[in-house]
Amino acid sequence: MDNKDVEFKRKKGLNNMSRKGVEHGFAVISLMITVPVFIAIAILMIVLPRPEKSEIEKRKLAQMPEFTFDSYISGEYTSGVTEYYDDTVPYRDNLKNVGYSFKSLFGIHTEDEVKVIGKPSVVKPLNDDKDKSGESSAPSKDENSKLESQQESESSTENSKPEESKTESSQESQKESSKEEEVTVENGIIVVKSNGHYRALELFGGGSGSTYAKALNNFHKDLGDSVKIYSLIAPLASEYYTPDSYSDFNASQKDSIESIESKLDKDIVSVDITDVLGEHKDEEIYFRTDHHWTPLGAYYAAQTFAKAAGLDFKELDTYKKNDMEGFVGTMYGFTGDANLNKDSEVFSYYTPDNIDKCMTYYYTTDFKYTGKGKFFNGVGDVRSAYLTFMGGDEQVVKVKTNVKNGKKLLIVKDSYGNAIPGYLFGSYEEIYVVDMRYFKLNLVDFAKQCKITDMLFAMVSYSAVGDNADNLENLRTQAKGKKIVDGGLKDED
Amino acid sequence: MVFSSLFFLYVFLPVCLIFYYLCRTINQKNVVLVISSLVFYAWGEPVWVCLLIVSAFVNWLASGFISSLGGEKKKKLVAAAAIIFDLGLLIVFKYSGFIVENINAVTGLGIPVPNIVMPIGISFFTFQAISYVMDCLWGTVEPQKNYFKFLLYLSLFPQLVAGPIVRYSVIDKEISDRKIKAVDISEGAKRVILGIAKKVIIANNLYAVVEQFFGTDITNLSFFGTWYTVILYSLYVYFDFSGYSDIAIGLGRMFGFHFNENFNYPFICKTISEFWQRWHISLSSFFRDYLFYVPIFGKPRKYFNLFLVWFCTGMWHGASWNFIFWGLYFGIFIFIETKIGKKRLKKWNKVWTHIYSKIIIVIGFGIFYFTDLGQLGRFFMNISGISMLTNGNALWDVLTRDSLLNNLFLIIFAIIVSMPVLQKVKYFFYKWGNNKVYAVGQIGGTLICCALLILSSILLVDNTNNPFLYFRF
Repeated sequence: MDNKDVEFKRKKGLNNMSRKGVEHGFAVISLMITVPVFIAIAILMIVLPRPEKSEIEKRKLAQMPEFTFDSYISGEYTSGVTEYYDDTVPYRDNLKNVGYSFKSLFGIHTEDEVKVIGKPSVVKPLNDDKDKSGESSAPSKDENSKLESQQESESSTENSKPEESKTESSQESQKESSKEEEVTVENGIIVVKSNGHYRALELFGGGSGSTYAKALNNFHKDLGDSVKIYSLIAPLASEYYTPDSYSDFNASQKDSIESIESKLDKDIVSVDITDVLGEHKDEEIYFRTDHHWTPLGAYYAAQTFAKAAGLDFKELDTYKKNDMEGFVGTMYGFTGDANLNKDSEVFSYYTPDNIDKCMTYYYTTDFKYTGKGKFFNGVGDVRSAYLTFMGGDEQVVKVKTNVKNGKKLLIVKDSYGNAIPGYLFGSYEEIYVVDMRYFKLNLVDFAKQCKITDMLFAMVSYSAVGDNADNLENLRTQAKGKKIVDGGLKDED
Repeated sequence: MVFSSLFFLYVFLPVCLIFYYLCRTINQKNVVLVISSLVFYAWGEPVWVCLLIVSAFVNWLASGFISSLGGEKKKKLVAAAAIIFDLGLLIVFKYSGFIVENINAVTGLGIPVPNIVMPIGISFFTFQAISYVMDCLWGTVEPQKNYFKFLLYLSLFPQLVAGPIVRYSVIDKEISDRKIKAVDISEGAKRVILGIAKKVIIANNLYAVVEQFFGTDITNLSFFGTWYTVILYSLYVYFDFSGYSDIAIGLGRMFGFHFNENFNYPFICKTISEFWQRWHISLSSFFRDYLFYVPIFGKPRKYFNLFLVWFCTGMWHGASWNFIFWGLYFGIFIFIETKIGKKRLKKWNKVWTHIYSKIIIVIGFGIFYFTDLGQLGRFFMNISGISMLTNGNALWDVLTRDSLLNNLFLIIFAIIVSMPVLQKVKYFFYKWGNNKVYAVGQIGGTLICCALLILSSILLVDNTNNPFLYFRF
């Protein structure tokens, strides 16, 4: 800034006191105001307790690195110290809320406003032949991928990232399988305002789900007819709520799901819930502030599955409804949109009437027994309400119900599937739940040795069409030939 | 270390300032500054800090020889050796990969491409060293006898990693003798805060929008979408880099140094020549003084030198063809303006010259952004409207509309701040120049700075990774 003219003007105006004296005086006053503010912030940053995790972002924050000569030379140590200091700011989440609120002042808010996060690209209609050759319909593979991988590791803040939980062999085979089909299902997020409420929607980039279909067909080959396989793929909310003006950026999930169905062996049952959910789209079947469906959405899915499998199924009014108010889910952290934080919703979940007669057993991801527990857990923070179901993803769960029909269900799921088992406590004698991203044993061995009768693959389209589907083939091939020992049997009555 | 990080602001800087102000003598203060600067540099480059120290030593030694040796020829030889050393460092660390890649492309030799990570700030401190050696050779500055003081000049952390390129003559006297007044600390601190605010409040948020559109395949981006994004990108570069310069100049002032300005409201220019007198002044004046007016291959050749300067300006920004195109692109317009003549240009309608210069500048930043030449080609197709005819691209699109609505106030604010509005506000307070109004201006300004500091700090919580653009040059 050029201050010469300014100084000249000022000099003219200051008749009573010497220019330098006045300047000095105000500089001192100015420092007396600025310095204490500066020092106060610096001291507070040191003395206030530093958080270890972020509830908004659902992640562990950076830790102070250990000093080693090598880490110093590589620059890792110094960058780690900076990262620790900057990442674990006291009251981080609260300050982020303030920051997001400030950013919401940047623009005009209208009745049907849309805010875009990430880099959506125009999608092309699904073309299976093209897709198989390795070309994807949406080109973006960028920050959105980060968002999504973060999203899929969201389930528990205590969890390590999915990558860390994979065995080396599984990583290798994943590399091989991902070569077959390059998929970019992520296509940015939009926050739309509709009927006075804000709703975050992940746009869908498209894809044919060949990897998923191939893996399920292989499972069918390995397991034969002794296990009936079901495939239930939940669309993302964007299938139903994307405004027309953004339809070019959102591929049809119905097309992708139908494409998968067409590739599945005829003995595998496709549970098509896209239209069923569509019929209920005016009800709260998806959270507006979270990337999951609601337990109500999962109910309609479970109902459709029960019908397809010919199971006994109880009506919703036989369940006890539990409400948690003030729920703001993961999409707030992903989008940083203050409007979502201000527009919280009610987290309602449903417990079956036989819940007291059902026992839930918890195991590690390599099926080491850890103890009895509840299927529906209390969560301390309403923001983590989706952890109500089994406390998250990184474990294996077995539920022994009071039903005696000899039917045993194995659910292979991502976090969408967590909301389903609770509706099947009246349909199966035993229900096993494994996460397709974290399970470390061989799933074919597991199904055989646990004498599974029905196997339900239940996940969101993002997982079935995207990179997560690579894990399915790993589950089939990894850690073969191990004996499965159920350490929980000793605790059974 | 990045200026716009909480660690720098609330750990490094306070510790450095406390030690600095506790010191009584200038020598003690200089020791604090050199240690701080080396720690600052080693924080990001634990190994290459040695390179900085060696580079300072070689150039200091050269200046000593220049002053002690008799005979113009010998002096020139020493200066040439020092400059070859400096440029050699740049070529090895910055351009070797690029050069080998291009040799391979032309000859098909398949020489292994060296994978050398460029030490941060090498382009800046190397240019400072060159300017110093040249000034010594020309006798415009007295060579510094004390290596430690020269190391202080070269490594001074406020301007070490991303400029401005401070000439030795500017701080020559202040290295040995400077008085730090309350006004310096107060004005310096305000300048630092303004710089941080420019970066954190404006630049980072503009960049988020730019990345949304340009950070992916732009084949289908609409005509207006392309213009919208490239305009925001131009604003972003200005706020990012001028914000950094503000911090550097402010920090310098807090330590008692008075650096020259690096930006002077570049977007109010009417011609491209004027733009470069207002944009990254320390770089353009470096090329003007040390390349343009220097006789190369015999006598000065005006137009050859002009294009050489713009080739080098582009090349300096990065080892990538787009930067070279970017430099030459401006060279062409400056050549045309020189041919038309200043007097004739002045007679032209101001509105048209403003529109002309802004269009050229903004398109220039498009060239600056796209290091991928395929993307750059698509950018030209989009911005010229050709892709509407060839690829069926839309005139405008819904993403652009919503992005504009979501960021309208930010953009308007950014445009206002990029103009000399703040200066005008200062005028207002001083125009009526009595002490009361002056007091309101001073205290009001201070309170605004405190608010900006708090707000920027809050926004920094959400920006764990936000390096300045010019760190890569």
